[in-house]
Amino acid sequence: MLLRLADVQRHFGGVHAVDGVTLEVEKGSIQGLIGPNGAGKTTLVNVITGYVPFQSGKAWLEEDQLTGLPAHRIAGLGVARTFQNIRLFKDLSAVENVIVGMHSRRRDDTIAQLGTLPIFRRDQRSRFNEAHRLMETAGLDPGEVGKRAAGTLPYGDQRRLEIARALALQPRLLILDEPAAGMNPSEKQGIRDLIERLNKDGLTILLIDHDMQLVMGVCNRVAVLNFGRKIADGTPEEVSTDAAVIKAYLGTGSEREASSAPGATGVEAVAAEKAQAKGSSRPAAEPADSILDVHELSVSYGSVNAVRAASLRVAAGEVVALIGANGAGKTTILSALSGLIRPTSGTAVFDGLDLTTAKASAIVRHGLVHVPEGREILGRQTVLENLELATWARRDRAAAVTQIAAVMKRFPILGERRHLRAGTLSGGEAQMLAIARGLLAKPRLLLLDEPSLGLAPQMVDEVFAAIQEIHGDGTTILLVEQNALRALAIADRAYVLETGRILLTGSGDDLLHNPAVRRAYLGG
Amino acid sequence: MDLLTQLFTDPFAFWTSHTLLISQIGINSILASSMFVVLYSGQLSLAAPGFMAIGAYTAVLMDLYWHTPLAVDFAAGTALAGLVGAIVGLPVLRLRGVFLAIATIGFIEALSLGVILNLPITGEGLGLKNIDADPVGGVNIVLISLAVVVYLLWRLTKGRLGYAWTAVRQDELAARSQGIDVPRYKLIAFVISALLAGYAGAAESHLYFILDPNEYGVPRTVQVLTFAVLGGSGNVLGPVVGALFLTTFPFIFKQAGDYIGVVSGAVLIAIIVFRPQGIVGRGGFAFVRPRWWPRPQSRAPSTG
Amino acid sequence: MGQQILNAIFIGSIYALFAVGYTLVFGVLDILNLAHSAVFTLGAAVTYTLVVNHGQSFWLACVLGIFVAALMGLVIEYVCLRPLRRRRAPPIAALISTIGLALIIIAAIEQGRPGTLFAWLWVDGANPVTMPPGAFPNPTWHVAGLTLEGSKLAVIPISLALMLVLGYVMRSTQVGRGLRAVAENPRAARLMGIDVDRMIALTLVISSALGGLAGILFGVALGDISPYIGRDSVEVRGLAVIVLGGMGSIPGAVLGGYLLGLIEVLAVVLLGSNVRAGVAFAALFLMLVLRPQGFFGAQLRERI
Repeated sequence: MLLRLADVQRHFGGVHAVDGVTLEVEKGSIQGLIGPNGAGKTTLVNVITGYVPFQSGKAWLEEDQLTGLPAHRIAGLGVARTFQNIRLFKDLSAVENVIVGMHSRRRDDTIAQLGTLPIFRRDQRSRFNEAHRLMETAGLDPGEVGKRAAGTLPYGDQRRLEIARALALQPRLLILDEPAAGMNPSEKQGIRDLIERLNKDGLTILLIDHDMQLVMGVCNRVAVLNFGRKIADGTPEEVSTDAAVIKAYLGTGSEREASSAPGATGVEAVAAEKAQAKGSSRPAAEPADSILDVHELSVSYGSVNAVRAASLRVAAGEVVALIGANGAGKTTILSALSGLIRPTSGTAVFDGLDLTTAKASAIVRHGLVHVPEGREILGRQTVLENLELATWARRDRAAAVTQIAAVMKRFPILGERRHLRAGTLSGGEAQMLAIARGLLAKPRLLLLDEPSLGLAPQMVDEVFAAIQEIHGDGTTILLVEQNALRALAIADRAYVLETGRILLTGSGDDLLHNPAVRRAYLGG
Repeated sequence: MDLLTQLFTDPFAFWTSHTLLISQIGINSILASSMFVVLYSGQLSLAAPGFMAIGAYTAVLMDLYWHTPLAVDFAAGTALAGLVGAIVGLPVLRLRGVFLAIATIGFIEALSLGVILNLPITGEGLGLKNIDADPVGGVNIVLISLAVVVYLLWRLTKGRLGYAWTAVRQDELAARSQGIDVPRYKLIAFVISALLAGYAGAAESHLYFILDPNEYGVPRTVQVLTFAVLGGSGNVLGPVVGALFLTTFPFIFKQAGDYIGVVSGAVLIAIIVFRPQGIVGRGGFAFVRPRWWPRPQSRAPSTG
Repeated sequence: MGQQILNAIFIGSIYALFAVGYTLVFGVLDILNLAHSAVFTLGAAVTYTLVVNHGQSFWLACVLGIFVAALMGLVIEYVCLRPLRRRRAPPIAALISTIGLALIIIAAIEQGRPGTLFAWLWVDGANPVTMPPGAFPNPTWHVAGLTLEGSKLAVIPISLALMLVLGYVMRSTQVGRGLRAVAENPRAARLMGIDVDRMIALTLVISSALGGLAGILFGVALGDISPYIGRDSVEVRGLAVIVLGGMGSIPGAVLGGYLLGLIEVLAVVLLGSNVRAGVAFAALFLMLVLRPQGFFGAQLRERI
């Protein structure tokens, strides 16, 4: 056994993020670690790598105790990791990033540096060569990207560079935290090939990812976490037929994961259910007159083109869904519409207002309100203060006051907790607050970004019920959701995004049955 | 402009008539280098004048009481500053950003107002007379040490240590994942910075006949910080350029006369606004483009 | 002793008033506005000049002094902070640009002599001056061995009232909620339709008006107005105060102000006047090492 974990525990306040996990990773294997959002996977990785202290339990890397060591010592022992949200040294060149990774096995050359130059140059050249080799291993062209600042590389290259940097430690164990997140199918295939190649060269890998096809396809063994506990551990075949696993995935209400969990038949089941519930067919064509008209919108972050010439329209009274994998550019589109970021080209007009130049505050006043991903409620202020602030852009103070009262009736939990700090709310309650806040700004078009992310199943139901209710009141909604099936089920129309482009569009029903959707979405 | 004209038309006369200015540029450059080391490792420490005071007082007192040779004075001042740096550094280095800055300001104020002004041996508010000062001959020592300091720092930033510092500055969490012992490298930088400041203090005290306790307060630290940031703290030469520029500024802009303070404030703002990374820094010498400046056609989104 | 405690409350009020503005800007922007002490000086200087050189009534001069200080807040925002924010410059750049502005303000006052460019602002150069007696009512009582000066006594209720008003505004009005929203999460604030830039400008106006008023009260009541009162009396002490109370916390700054006043007075009584300043900074240093979040500040957290 290379890595052994015995009854590892980590609590944050009352939350059992990791609750007694025992795990063994065999030398030379690829071990998968999966679980629904918030299952504690990343926390477990942070505990193993020394970023979060153990509360109890032990960990060994072969004969070396990892328990209680600081992160740099654990790295020095040969545990390399990548981060879920890439953490490169952004201003250093790609090659320099990899050279930093050689730190723990590099002789301290401080004195040599001061004296003899030529020796250093030879060292340096060999280090550069090694860095180039590692970058090639990770699938990067050192000639092309080597001298560029890491922060300016395309997204996929940054992921690969992070892996190359981790390899520079010459690790005994490589932990990859969602290496394929936000990648398109061909990039995912590339990462899969890379993982297999590294493993063939004898490297043991602990892989955490949401993409079931990747995990099930590449791993020798897979462990499943749910609410901080290990609920299954075995070969991919064993795990995918394990009743507890299927229940964990289906039970979260997250059909994306349910449908991609092997053995589950989420898509068809939901589609059938929906066909029963709604007989009427809906218009699939883009509306002639629209309240929101986006034409050829492009947004880039540095050298990364997050959105490429996307065009979409929303008519008054519609619910339009925007779906696509992580990193497809959904959130970027919404942020560009609400004035948080500026597009590089293209137009976006909301009811006569040019969204590409208007101030964010003017956009809200005009009636376009964005409920952001991750809720972004103000945790230090009370629930009531959050609600009162939400009426900031309104002139009709009296009506706003009555609407605050109405909102607190509609979401009773917010009324009950109005004098508590918003930071003490649970995820679902916070989402309710975020939506309520959006409503209080008197929107004509409401942008909802991932309203169900990270919520317990019954809360997901409640959130979607609230969305339908808001729509019933005549508010137009543009909805971004990972939970594609749920989103399509309530949407009049939908757009499917893949790596910053609009791939296809159609009515919710059509897209539900479209295999291309599953491909774009599940990256199949 | 006469200073510059003289520099080019008659460099020897320039040298003899501005020796003290040249020495002061050298001292300020060493101080700026001391600030560079901490900034390079991602720490906003403003303790330099404190270590400077330790170096200066130690050197002068050694000379006054024990008549030790100059080299010993300098070495003792530098070493004591480094020692105090290690002692002070241990508790404060877990502070970040502006908190570290304020803690180090607390340190220098407590040292200069609380200790130096109250110890009889330091001459309290009157300072010390340094009869062995050498305002003219000191310039050689200063310039040679500056060259050595810049060379050493340049070499250090290119080695394992320099890579570790950069990694810590850019992203501490990621640095830890690469096996870098963050507190250790921060402390190393802090102590090196203290050594350099201590040395600069000792060297400066050798230039003037009076050791003035008011030299080591907050205005000095603000000045040194300005040297380093304005010059650019990503490159060894940046702080030296900053020190050179700002020390000679009043002489270059003699026409400003009494308004030199106003002018230098305005220049300071202009430089930092148009070039936040400093005069010398990554991205060449290009200034940040003001909004009204015509921008090149943006590239069409690539299809790759 | 009674007199000393009275003094502690008086000077504490000034510290608190000054530091409230300091901490407000830090709380909203995470930036130390190093021009704040220059604004303090400017408020006092403008008021003095209006009364003595331009023959205005004392009360009008006070109002105009506060107004000019508030205006300077806008200058800080538009010249020093907003351009850097647009460029996503590191916070250290804002430190330098506010230093630059402080330099301009102080140099302008310092150079104000009859016949110079800044004669309209100040004519006494670097000399300290006193508001002429009779310019403002200053009844003096002797009660139980204490000397009670009206001008000093008035400072206490004025400061307290203003800080209570500010506390009320921050806690219970829509504007206050907006300011706190900007401080906590500017992105979320923008999404709620709050014009973040305008709120920041407002923050600087409030902060600078309070800073200017603190300067006026200090200069009038202590009878000491010079280009250096900001630098010598409140610049670094203001830092100590906001650290003692917790960076960004308004009640913390108030408490910190009075605490520092008390610490200094106690240090004088117990240890003699020489160590007064040193003790304050030793306290600051210890506070940062032992409890960096201050008495009222939120726990400092590291984001992974």
